[in-house]
Amino acid sequence: MGGPGGRPGMNLPALKRALGYSLHHSRFMMLALGSMLVGTLAQLAVPQFIQDILDNVTLALAASGMAGLDSAGLDSLMAESGFTLEQLTAANNNPLQPLVVSSILILFFSIGRGVFAFLQAYMAEKNGQYAAYDFRNELFAKISSLSFSYHDRQRTGELMVRATDDVEKVRQFISQGLLMAGQALVLMVASLSILFYTNWRLALVVVPILPVAMLMFMFFGSRVGPLFAMIQQRLSHLNSILQENVAGLQVVKSYVREKSEQARFGKVADEHMRNSIRVSRFMSVMFPFLFLVANLAIVAVTWYGGRLLIFDELTLGQWSKFMLYITYIFFPIGQFGFIIAMATQASASAARVFEILDTDVEVRNRPGARTLDTVQGMVEFRNVTFRYFEGSEPVLNDVSFGVMPGETVAILGATGSGKSTIINLLPRFYDVSDGAILIDGIDIRDATLDSLRSQIGIVLQETVLFSGTIRDNIAFGRPEATDIEVEAVARDAAIHDFIVSQPNGYRTDVGERGSTLSGGQKQRVAIARALLLQPRILILDDSTSSVDLQTEQRIQQALDRLMEQRTSFVIAQRISTVRNADRILILENGRLAATGTHETLMESNELYADIFSSQLVDDSAALAEAQAGWA
Amino acid sequence: MFDGGRFMMDREVSRAQSVPQTLRRLGGMFAPYWPWMILVMVLVLIVAGSQVYTAVLLGQAIDCYVNPALLSGSGTVGDAAGANCWFERADTQGWGVPALLTGLTHLMLITTAIYIASAASRSLSFYMMSAVGNRVVRRIRVSLFRRIHSLTLGYFNRHEAGDVMSRLTNDLDTLQQSINFMMISVLLAVVTVIWILIQMLIINYVYGLISMALIPVMYLVTNWLSSLARREFRKARREIGNINADLQENISGVREMQAFVREGASSESFREVNAANRDANISAVSYTSALSPTLEAFGFLGLTVATLAGGLLLLNGGTLGGQAVTLGLVITYINLVQRLNQPIGQIAVMWTNVQSAIAGSERIFELLDEEPEIQDPPQPVAVNRLRGRVEFHHVSFHYNPDEPVLDRISLIARPGETVAIVGPTGAGKTTILNLIPRFYDPISGSVKIDGVDVRQMRRSDLRSNIGMVLQDTFLFNDTIMNNIRFSREGATDAEVRGVAELSYADEFIRRLEDGYETVLGERGSGLSQGQRQLLSITRAILADPRILILDEATSSVDTRTELLIQGALEALMRGRTSFVVAHRLSTIRNADQVLMMQDGRIIEKGTHTELLAQGGAYHALYMSQYQALEDEVPA
Ligand SMILES: Nc1ncnc2c1ncn2[C@@H]1O[C@H](COP(=O)(O)OP(=O)(O)O)[C@@H](O)[C@H]1O
Ligand SMILES: Nc1ncnc2c1ncn2[C@@H]1O[C@H](COP(=O)(O)OP(=O)(O)O)[C@@H](O)[C@H]1O
Ligand SMILES: [Mg+2]
Ligand SMILES: [Mg+2]
Repeated sequence: MGGPGGRPGMNLPALKRALGYSLHHSRFMMLALGSMLVGTLAQLAVPQFIQDILDNVTLALAASGMAGLDSAGLDSLMAESGFTLEQLTAANNNPLQPLVVSSILILFFSIGRGVFAFLQAYMAEKNGQYAAYDFRNELFAKISSLSFSYHDRQRTGELMVRATDDVEKVRQFISQGLLMAGQALVLMVASLSILFYTNWRLALVVVPILPVAMLMFMFFGSRVGPLFAMIQQRLSHLNSILQENVAGLQVVKSYVREKSEQARFGKVADEHMRNSIRVSRFMSVMFPFLFLVANLAIVAVTWYGGRLLIFDELTLGQWSKFMLYITYIFFPIGQFGFIIAMATQASASAARVFEILDTDVEVRNRPGARTLDTVQGMVEFRNVTFRYFEGSEPVLNDVSFGVMPGETVAILGATGSGKSTIINLLPRFYDVSDGAILIDGIDIRDATLDSLRSQIGIVLQETVLFSGTIRDNIAFGRPEATDIEVEAVARDAAIHDFIVSQPNGYRTDVGERGSTLSGGQKQRVAIARALLLQPRILILDDSTSSVDLQTEQRIQQALDRLMEQRTSFVIAQRISTVRNADRILILENGRLAATGTHETLMESNELYADIFSSQLVDDSAALAEAQAGWA
Repeated sequence: MFDGGRFMMDREVSRAQSVPQTLRRLGGMFAPYWPWMILVMVLVLIVAGSQVYTAVLLGQAIDCYVNPALLSGSGTVGDAAGANCWFERADTQGWGVPALLTGLTHLMLITTAIYIASAASRSLSFYMMSAVGNRVVRRIRVSLFRRIHSLTLGYFNRHEAGDVMSRLTNDLDTLQQSINFMMISVLLAVVTVIWILIQMLIINYVYGLISMALIPVMYLVTNWLSSLARREFRKARREIGNINADLQENISGVREMQAFVREGASSESFREVNAANRDANISAVSYTSALSPTLEAFGFLGLTVATLAGGLLLLNGGTLGGQAVTLGLVITYINLVQRLNQPIGQIAVMWTNVQSAIAGSERIFELLDEEPEIQDPPQPVAVNRLRGRVEFHHVSFHYNPDEPVLDRISLIARPGETVAIVGPTGAGKTTILNLIPRFYDPISGSVKIDGVDVRQMRRSDLRSNIGMVLQDTFLFNDTIMNNIRFSREGATDAEVRGVAELSYADEFIRRLEDGYETVLGERGSGLSQGQRQLLSITRAILADPRILILDEATSSVDTRTELLIQGALEALMRGRTSFVVAHRLSTIRNADQVLMMQDGRIIEKGTHTELLAQGGAYHALYMSQYQALEDEVPA
């Protein structure tokens, strides 16, 4: 659960890998890049035209003095202003024309710049959105393929923050940061070249600022990076608390724990707030400082440029061009600050996303795994030992038994003896730690997961339905099933009558996790859901615990019929449910204590007899009374 | 999961509040910090003012010290006679080059000082704003969380949990990002823009008007584009809510998904939700992406207009608004227009996030405004420790109007009595129990405890008298110790252990490697189902409640352990009013009253013996269990 919290600074490998996603849709990326180049060039051209206007104004002003001058005066004017006679004459004859030309050019370039800047931003955003889309799809696919053992430990709230919020932060960088960085770089390098070309001495004034900014960024990145990772962790923590309080709302309310849960949440929210404020402390020093440095450079340029002007070593147009291009150098520096912040944040988030994507799937197809064709249903457990965690006490200890096709096996045992664990091994929700499980003589680890699981219909002990209609839920494993098939299994699970009594019948919504159904109704929908698969192997894990006795007996009759042709595993507490099984396994603390039929076990196994008698209601007196009253 | 099954109701009625209303409400949250906000405002004014006056000083540098040098030659650039100099002004004759340089240097030093002050103010204002903003966000976050607690179970029947949670995470995070930096930047930008505009008018109103000719157009365009974008962002916020809901459901149903080999299909349907979110965002940014370039283009045009107009005026040697147009004036204007473009561009850049945050805030406020259906009465009857007499008077209830669930239920449980409720699944047993702690209110009739209608009590008073084991066991991602202690904060470890021994949970807990400190997974994963029920029972017992409610509390526990617990429970239930729902009749035999339910009605009522003697439904139920084993009873 712990993110990459301790890692200092920016997580460059994660960032680099995240950037790989921006190339998934290289068309958008190329378009964005191309537009960026064109747009930036257009942007760079504009100050040139502004300079032209000013230069032309100066020229025209100089030319306006031409009229009364003798040739000596003219010579000194030319020397003073640096214009040739042709220029002066042209300007004198038509002072407005160059201004109009420059203005039209500016108009043209501005529009061009606008169009390409739009394309750039739009394409970059689109690219980012597509990258986020890919991220989320991958995350979803990964999460749904991760084994039970992963989900036993993982928190939903945590996973959700990573799939939404962290992805969002990576997206922002891909959408905005990447292109912004490119643009800033182009703008800066080009502007710097232009400045050097215009007046290298003046340009030199600007140069020392760049390393200062660089140092600033590095410092920022190293300090703020870990903070961002911490912020995301707290956010996950907040969401996990939230998630639990929503899911367990009734428990929280029952025990009047709202206040203390709020206090718990408030504490983490405080930490989150403090971290956020700490980040902004860095930011609120960095950005103004950068601005200050930039502004001071402008002052320096103004001062030094003014000097040059006074000494006539610079034209006014050049000078104001300088002032414009200089913002093209400092604006990108500010932007870099922004980008560094974004990148630091994105790298922290990307690492969290990749942590999920890189998790090993414990249970997966072996190389060369084969597709399991329709199986007969012969099942063998061969010295199966199982631990939930490496190195812990085994939950199942050297369990061996065999089941012939079509047999019904009942598993009995105390709470926590390992009944559910046994049946969870069959569809490979977990892999055995030792020993092997064979179906039709094939080690199930040599079969592909899909082909194995699609032959097994299972009703898990904890019933989870999905929001949607009852029909959707029954047809979960086979959405293409016909209404007739769905109805048939609903009848078998003794839920049909209830369904049709609802105003919307099979279209009745069951709510999240099936919350609008009673416990027994949920279990029966789950049974129908498993039956619809017509599986070769049917597993029922205490699937009628919330069903009343009479209904259970109805289900039992249907099941007796259905289980005839399939291998079935039934876990139940009630002897009445398991009595007719071909074989009964008694588990005790993860060991197979006995196997046999009801009859043989009654005779030979104390534990079984004990379980049996615990279910007998010692009520002969009341019964006799009742029967007497009856008669 | 299934597209058709989503709860569409609250989706379609997107109660889009008006934007000013949302903003005003957000603003209101800053009100408690008004002294800070005033200080921030002052600092912002300093920063904005420095933008303006440094440009003015730059113009003066030109007019008062640079241009005279140009004038001294014959390369005259306009007439500087009209120049407005705050400091000593150079005249053409008397000032030599060194004096001009000194003047220039002085001005630049002043400018430097202003910039330093401005940087300090900017830094401080950013920091203060973010300190306040984060506090505001924290407050919203905590109030949202509190709001979740006040929502009823009924609310979650109609709304997806994932979507509700999305408001607390995704929407709030967008808002936080906006508040953190955007808000101060936008504020600063707006103030700067306004000040620059005013200054332009002050210096020379005609030239000013010309320079800002494009501003109204820019405003209109911005407005238009952002209202289009906002509409799309609203959709996008809803879509991220959908993603959240889909994720939430699929993660919590991941075991089923794998059991039924539905990973592919679920991924497929997630892709759809995911794509909808992507497309909504893309269409929103198509508007916001247009904004910044448009404004930038306008900025360039504005710059051209200012330059061109200035140039022409200089050429014509004219005056404007009764004032001489000097080179310095033109430079000042060019600079001001440029300084105008920067904040406008900044606003445009942040606009995407701001629009998205506004859309998110609407969803946040919508949740905050949710009126809880069940509230404490204005004048609650004070109750302390209840005696535990529970009465139902003609209670009828339904979840949906056309499906009655309880039909005129009446019952009386005297203090200390044990009431067993039996009946087929779906009869309404759980529903009855949910009315006692007021998880739902009856549609008609009343539930009274110790003669007081539960609707007249404070819910916390009522519920702290009740210990409940829900049919759906819920445990927290925490240690076993803390899970049990959940029902009574401050219970000592020894007390917890003592209670766990009573409920037979101690035995398995001690066998775990970390014992009571074992951290459970979400919903208690890591334990067998029966073990979770044992913990849930332990938790209820620890609460030491006056009224104990056990809803199929041992359904997953094996029958031998169940018998043991029953012994313990019987001792515990002595003196407390208890409600027990169970299917195994051994559990209910000793109850003081047995209620047989069917289709939302109590059809038989009496003690076990009485009901057996009646030979009705209860008798049939009993016989069916008995029959099942009868053949085997050793003679
Ligand atoms: N996901 C899990 N992770 C770790 N331990 C588990 C997990 N599930 C069950 N256990 C432990 O394994 C033992 C057997 O559990 P289980 O097979 O569910 O019992 P049951 O016989 O009641 O079905 C129990 O002691 C339980 O604590
Ligand atoms: N939250 C809900 N929304 C709508 N219907 C519900 C809800 N909870 C239960 N129901 C319906 O009310 C009836 C009674 O349910 P419940 O009281 O849970 O039965 P049980 O007697 O098995 O405990 C059932 O038909 C069930 O479908
Ligand atoms: Mg189990
Ligand atoms: Mg129930």
